[in-house]
Amino acid sequence: MAIIDILNAVVEFDKNVVVENVKNAIDSEIPINDILNKGLIGAMDVVGEKFSSGEIFVPEMLQAAKAMQAGLEVLKPHLTGDAMIEKGTVIIGTVKGDLHDIGKNLVSMMVEGAGFNVIDLGVDVDTDKFVAEAQARNADVVCLSALLTTTMPVMAKTVEAIKKAGLKVKTIVGGAPVTDAYAQQIGADGFSDNAPGAVELIRKLVAA
Amino acid sequence: MNAKERMEAAINLKPVDMVPNAPFTEAPVCSYYGSTFRDALLEGPQILKAHMKSLEEFKFDWVMLGMGYIGGIIPEAFDCKVSFPEDVFPIIEKTSVFSMEDVERMAKKDMFTKRMENFLEGIRLLKKELKDEVPIACEYISPFTIATRLRGTNEIMMDMYDNPELVHDLQEVIVPLDIAMGKALIDAGVDYIFYGADMECPVLLSPKHYKEFVHEPTSKVCNELARLGAKVLPHMCGDIVKTGIVDMLLEMDIHGIMPGNLTQEKVLDIRELKEKVKERICIFDNINPNGPLLIGTPEEVTKETLEHLEKVNGMSGYIFSTAGTSSPFTPKENYLAMDREVINFPWKQDKIDYK
Repeated sequence: MAIIDILNAVVEFDKNVVVENVKNAIDSEIPINDILNKGLIGAMDVVGEKFSSGEIFVPEMLQAAKAMQAGLEVLKPHLTGDAMIEKGTVIIGTVKGDLHDIGKNLVSMMVEGAGFNVIDLGVDVDTDKFVAEAQARNADVVCLSALLTTTMPVMAKTVEAIKKAGLKVKTIVGGAPVTDAYAQQIGADGFSDNAPGAVELIRKLVAA
Repeated sequence: MNAKERMEAAINLKPVDMVPNAPFTEAPVCSYYGSTFRDALLEGPQILKAHMKSLEEFKFDWVMLGMGYIGGIIPEAFDCKVSFPEDVFPIIEKTSVFSMEDVERMAKKDMFTKRMENFLEGIRLLKKELKDEVPIACEYISPFTIATRLRGTNEIMMDMYDNPELVHDLQEVIVPLDIAMGKALIDAGVDYIFYGADMECPVLLSPKHYKEFVHEPTSKVCNELARLGAKVLPHMCGDIVKTGIVDMLLEMDIHGIMPGNLTQEKVLDIRELKEKVKERICIFDNINPNGPLLIGTPEEVTKETLEHLEKVNGMSGYIFSTAGTSSPFTPKENYLAMDREVINFPWKQDKIDYK
């Protein structure tokens, strides 16, 4: 059993094979960190690249994320020491007045797949809730999503509220109508128009 | 030419006297003319008031409406729990399809709720007032996009692998109801059915899945609405040329295409689309409603508008538009700047061959 088999099974979103391969890898005493980082997390990076290049689409991404989660469940009881250290805490949600969740869910799954602790606040989230959760969880990044042009201004309000609260947390925004120019105008720390891009952005912001 | 003549000429790829001016105005005009978004969507007389005032000031070549219709009234008629906030689009709070039994239940639905009747009454009032001099366009949604509203987008996307039968069956149930709603719009006075294909766009679905799940129900609906006398104008985000989706759309009885720009940095080049569709259908332009129009200055809006128009000057079947709904928070001075440039643009009368 090789790590590449786990990676390939996730990329091909074959959930049963992922579970079997992870079990075999554990039995073969392959380091847990490698199974996690090079196998499962590495696979989601490949999935992200394929999505960005137009090779796969949303249904395939969702299936891959499901396969990855299944592998992670098998691995969880074995995660100790370094493998348990999360890369940071990310709060995510769709802003108040907006119930669209596909983009937010994709980002959430990809970021979690990249080893971050993700707190998904769901949709139609109040500005105050973003601020309170970011504070309570000592979050590194808050991700705001909106699909409607009508709810974009709520992003501006939320970014402003986070700054006013004096939190050191970084804010990033995304969603179909959102642009880089808009992100800059409202003072967000970053913008991505796709889920893999959001993962890269979060990695950079947390490392900075 | 009056507005209707100008739009009809462009849709039929005939010469026009000036640029047909047809942006997605619904949300901004509600806020500019003192109506709440909810009232303008749900109350017939309010629809009339907001749009008539906007025509007076902006001289648009159409009245465009229906965001609340597709986002709220239709899902509510299909048993979703929907709220209608005052200043934003309707919100689906709870979906309505959780099993195959729910799919079967949907087949027996009476779609014509009180809200839908109010909306249709607003269209009738508008039609009477406009005297067929200004065409009415209404938003509309595909069976696949309705399915995502009823079941949830994530769920439908997962079903495409886990439960494909449900995706097919749900759309099969929706098709006749969608056609019935379209017919009611046409009977009330809608000239142009603006066919929103939001959730099957090539940003989200592969061309393979489009063909497998979406093409047939979409063809049934578009072809029937065209047969009933409406001009059918699909709206789709993403690169419909590179992915070949446009070829499948061209197999249907459609009259035009509006390319959206879900990812705003990758706007589809209208000339590239023209090379593809040639003289078969008209093309709506895709000015970014969330770019300078929303967050820039009037000078920036003027510059962007001119750039678009100069690129296509004289192109047959061209209609100026935004690439989807404008925000109700769009500054009025920006909308006026865009409008001014379109109205005053020296449109070439000779047809340009883009082949």
